[in-house]
Amino acid sequence: MSQIIERVRQALGVQAGDGRARQVFAKSREFLECAVAQPSAQERAGWMESIRREALALKLHLHESPDLEACGEAVAALARARDPEWGTLKQIMRWSDPILDELGLEHRLAGDIAVRTVPMADSFSPSERQEFRREVIASYIGVTTADYLLADTASLALLGGPGRTRTVSLVPSIHIAVVPDSRIIASYRQLLSLLSARSLPSHMTVVTGPSKTADIEATLVHGAHGPREMHLFIVAS
Amino acid sequence: MMEQNPLKYKELAAKAVQDKQLHKALGKMRDKVGRNAVKLYKELPTGAGSREAAKEVRRKIVDNLDVVLETLIESIRARGGHVHLAETDADAVEYCLAVAKRFEVRRVVKGKSMLSEEIRLNDALEAAGIETVETDLGEYIVQLKGEAPSHIIAPAIHYTREQVGELFAEKLGVPYTSDPPTLTAMARKALREKMLTADMGISGGNTACAETGHVTIVSNEGNIRMTSTMPRVHIVLLGIEKVAATLEDHDILLRMLTRAAAGQKISTYVSYVGGPRLDAEPDGPEEFHLVLVDNGRSRILADPDFREVLHCVRCGGCLNVCPVYMSIGGHSYGSPYCGPIGAVFTPLTRGINTCHHLCQGETLCGACKEVCPVDNDLPRMLSLLRSKLADGDRRWNVKPHSRIEKLIFGAWSVVMSHRGLYDALTALARAGQRLLPRRNGWIRHLPGPLGGWTRGRDFPPLAAKSFAQRWARRSTARRGE
Repeated sequence: MSQIIERVRQALGVQAGDGRARQVFAKSREFLECAVAQPSAQERAGWMESIRREALALKLHLHESPDLEACGEAVAALARARDPEWGTLKQIMRWSDPILDELGLEHRLAGDIAVRTVPMADSFSPSERQEFRREVIASYIGVTTADYLLADTASLALLGGPGRTRTVSLVPSIHIAVVPDSRIIASYRQLLSLLSARSLPSHMTVVTGPSKTADIEATLVHGAHGPREMHLFIVAS
Repeated sequence: MMEQNPLKYKELAAKAVQDKQLHKALGKMRDKVGRNAVKLYKELPTGAGSREAAKEVRRKIVDNLDVVLETLIESIRARGGHVHLAETDADAVEYCLAVAKRFEVRRVVKGKSMLSEEIRLNDALEAAGIETVETDLGEYIVQLKGEAPSHIIAPAIHYTREQVGELFAEKLGVPYTSDPPTLTAMARKALREKMLTADMGISGGNTACAETGHVTIVSNEGNIRMTSTMPRVHIVLLGIEKVAATLEDHDILLRMLTRAAAGQKISTYVSYVGGPRLDAEPDGPEEFHLVLVDNGRSRILADPDFREVLHCVRCGGCLNVCPVYMSIGGHSYGSPYCGPIGAVFTPLTRGINTCHHLCQGETLCGACKEVCPVDNDLPRMLSLLRSKLADGDRRWNVKPHSRIEKLIFGAWSVVMSHRGLYDALTALARAGQRLLPRRNGWIRHLPGPLGGWTRGRDFPPLAAKSFAQRWARRSTARRGE
């Protein structure tokens, strides 16, 4: 294994441990500072404009809610109005997250649509994993929040971790994300700067609109292998 | 899969230049993506200097590749991922097969990976009795057809919607349609079944972040997320040069990549994958493997004249503007990497003599350099490859391509540097050309070895008087006035 690294060193004509690492991993001051940039009220207003514009172009359905109560009602109405793509069972899988708890989807949809939450445990047995997998596959809607919402591209940054599994935003046909407006940041660059300052989980995904393809005659079609429909609820704080 | 042979270049290209439908399809990529890329680069905060800024980042990484790789390997292992450095294609294939055997894999789902084409992984998996399914829509189409991809980003761009409809009707047993949304929905259904039941996922990667220990993969379809999430084990294949040091590097590299590849500000999904699931996560793969493949790259690295080609981010942007690629399509190149980038990279990894057609076929017009998101000077490297073919090169083990050609150009050089000789020979040619058949004043057939030139086009005859003669006469006439 180290043979290849050694060959790379020979090819480059360099020595190990010659102090290049510092320069290779150095970050610009501007990059580091953009993590903590404080936006003005005007900039924030511009962000909302940008998200609206981008969402329209992406076929990402944007909903602006005054509070979590109204948002919960709107999500429930949406769930009632949609039919499953695969099979007939109407079931929702959601992340385990305090914001999503407050939507009260369970009681709003009680009797009509089952709302399941990603289980929390220190570890899972193979049968528990199988069970969870079946439940996600059986769900027509996945509900998540997002760690950040990027204004310049209307992108969601989803960091993994317990209760925040990767399949919920991927396998169901409809992905609904509920994000407080306090989590809006300026750009992908600012996201990378923020992430540079924290330790990261083993997986994270930046999601921008529903899945799509242009592989047949370069014609754009929404709904490839990921969710074919995506809704973003921005909740005022 | 169809055999790929770079020595069949002329034969395949001759067919492709007659293929109007191919030109129409490729024209769409040129108009939708190729022509917009440079305009989109300028939107970035780095503005008109974005290509140079991205090039600087790639140069920093490639010039310090040992440091970046060591850090990446350490970071991924710290998170419980496995890393294997493969010296050759055979080594990489063997590693994948060993992991597949350990997991008793019966079905593999694949995300798009040109590197897997390079190491011919699918053939090896199939030979081991493992069903191997491409999940990118374009790759799926060419796999159903038993072909190889014809474009780095849009593998099935050479098919019409009607052909895809006929293919699906035949292979999937679905009713015929030529409606792209309906066809996409059919593939979505067929592939969902495969992706939810596969034991192993194999994908490529667009780059990796050494300091955080993640492989970065962009996709629009979501198939790569499926591939990396649903099966029990996920393997990523990555060329050793395709890495990055920091998240700051990612900013410009990814933004340039998606603009160049697809005219997008950002892909639908940018996934950072850095290890297996945690105990406390109920989904995700049990094991994560990163296979870093050399397969000739360190040899390129050692030659400062060609090191620049390793800056490539595999966006396919140079294909979309290349007049040669636009005429002959991807299959003529007989290699997974086609277009201008393939014309440089393939000879360097598969042998410059074997792949001589590839670098000799390009026009050196420079369009590829102008669109390249990392400002790769492909025309310079193409010229250099040609000079190695002309003179031979010990370092790259190149035999002079044609002794006769070298002799002819040597003689030509003597003629061009001796005025009297030149004039005498042109006078001879002027007399001789009267014997050649003509059409509309043009020569239809040149004699002997020059005949190849007139097989597809006519040749302009030498003028009755040369420019030098006319000039001299004109000057004399003026003086006489």
